[in-house]
Amino acid sequence: MDLIYTMTTSAAATDVITLADRASAAVDTNIWLSILYMVLALVSIGALTAVLGIVLIYAERKIAGHFQCRLGPMRVGPHGILQTVADTLKLLLKEDVVPASADKAMHFAAPLMSLMATVLVLGVIPYSPILQVTDVNIGILYVTAVSGLGVMGILLGGWSSNNKWSLVGGMRAAAQMISYEISATLSVLVMVLFASTLSLNGIVQSQESGWWIWRAHGTGLVAFVIFIIASTAEINRTPFDIPEGESELTGGFHTEYSGLRFAFFFLSEFINMFAASAIAATLFLGGWMPFYIEGFETFNKITSLLPPTLWFLGKTAFLIFIFMWFRWTFPRLRVDQLMRLEWKILLPIGFINLIAAAVIVLTKFYFFPV
Amino acid sequence: MLWQAAYTVLFYLFAVAAISFAIGVTVSRRLLRAAVYLMSLLLTGAAIYVMLGAFFLAGVQVLVYVGGIVVVIIFAVMLTNSAQLGLATSPGYRKVMAFAAAAGMAIISCLALWTSKFNLSAATVPSDNIKAIGLKLLDRGAGGYVLPFEIISILLLAAVIGAIVIARRTTAPGQPFTTRGDEPAELANSTLKTQLCIEQEEQKV
Repeated sequence: MDLIYTMTTSAAATDVITLADRASAAVDTNIWLSILYMVLALVSIGALTAVLGIVLIYAERKIAGHFQCRLGPMRVGPHGILQTVADTLKLLLKEDVVPASADKAMHFAAPLMSLMATVLVLGVIPYSPILQVTDVNIGILYVTAVSGLGVMGILLGGWSSNNKWSLVGGMRAAAQMISYEISATLSVLVMVLFASTLSLNGIVQSQESGWWIWRAHGTGLVAFVIFIIASTAEINRTPFDIPEGESELTGGFHTEYSGLRFAFFFLSEFINMFAASAIAATLFLGGWMPFYIEGFETFNKITSLLPPTLWFLGKTAFLIFIFMWFRWTFPRLRVDQLMRLEWKILLPIGFINLIAAAVIVLTKFYFFPV
Repeated sequence: MLWQAAYTVLFYLFAVAAISFAIGVTVSRRLLRAAVYLMSLLLTGAAIYVMLGAFFLAGVQVLVYVGGIVVVIIFAVMLTNSAQLGLATSPGYRKVMAFAAAAGMAIISCLALWTSKFNLSAATVPSDNIKAIGLKLLDRGAGGYVLPFEIISILLLAAVIGAIVIARRTTAPGQPFTTRGDEPAELANSTLKTQLCIEQEEQKV
């Protein structure tokens, strides 16, 4: 038991101030300042959502284009950078068609639920030591719990449309997301074991002498690979995009959605990709922590020249690129292949990896100072 | 002072929401709506846990109940094809019995609440109660919960094995019970069921 206590003492080298901290510090002296911080947090999350939507959709189309030896969007603005803006305007102005026999209230609520689950995750991601809305002490548990809400949005969207393709798509999505959530959680638990905290900022700060992906004796690398595969499935991207497989289900769960509500589903899918990349970067690649090597002070000083936000964005952008790369590399899986991959391959590997990590942490079998 | 008032207002907001969602679960005629009300009820429960400072409990509540159990309930409702149908109205005597049972339960719980004494301490909730919960769960001492923890683990394992055995059943009901290995017939059977559901729905439409 003493071991557990000593493991959890971690030295916080960099001071971390979240917006919630600032707001609660200012609450007694100046209530308007506190309210200003809260409004700032809300506005910046909203702005981040909008900007991410525009940037990621443009990036997806450009990357897709270049992978296929095309140019991608070129007409609207220089190199087509205004294409997404134009598309957004089109989506906003389009007629919002609701099927006559749909369950109206649910049909309305489903895309909102999907988007809400996504946006709630953005609030706890540490973008830099001073750029985070709030650092809840159950950090990674919160992320896992909230992203489970997104499944509900897709399920309800698929069901309430009263369309067989939507229904099948929704059910496929639910089966897939529930299954792959287990693998993702198992690989997250490995990192929680090493960092001995659930708080996302705590996990970032525990990587000061090296990122967990190589400091965790291979278990980190295995967990990273499992997490990336499971996240690809959880955000319904190719090769796991069977919930909306166009060739068999026309559009899957969002077949009957149009206009703004379709845009919500679409947006939440792209923000989900950002959130998954950001969480992977935080857990395995050190989040905003620059590339430090213990003992190499000059090298560490050079890497700290780049601000933490850029480190974070760089790692996240790299992972997003990998997700987009997957799409043009792997063919779509069949439903049974998808289930076999999770339950017969990823899950056993995840369990063995978790046990190995527990043994490493308990025996203190480290090659590096903790 | 202001925050105390805000807390009280928030608590009553969540309490009223929780009670109305609970009523919604029981009175809703559509199964799927009821499941959604159940999800909202569990979410308001999580909100009240957050207000009490039990973040871990709130997180687990959302993770296990909303992300797991309610999703599985909805999944089951969708598969059984009764999602479209309202529930059949029950006969009068059953309604009376149900109301009597519910009222009895309400009276018993109210009595239990009034007669029992709660030892509320003014101590604040520790900010890091995850570690405390973990240590308590695996404590072999007097106040520890390692035995219930292990028993629940075995129960869950048994449930999982039972579910697998039932799912792998390849013989028709009534026939001698056998389970066979990875037969593709299994998959074909389940897709056939979905197909049947779809066809039935089409006929209705």
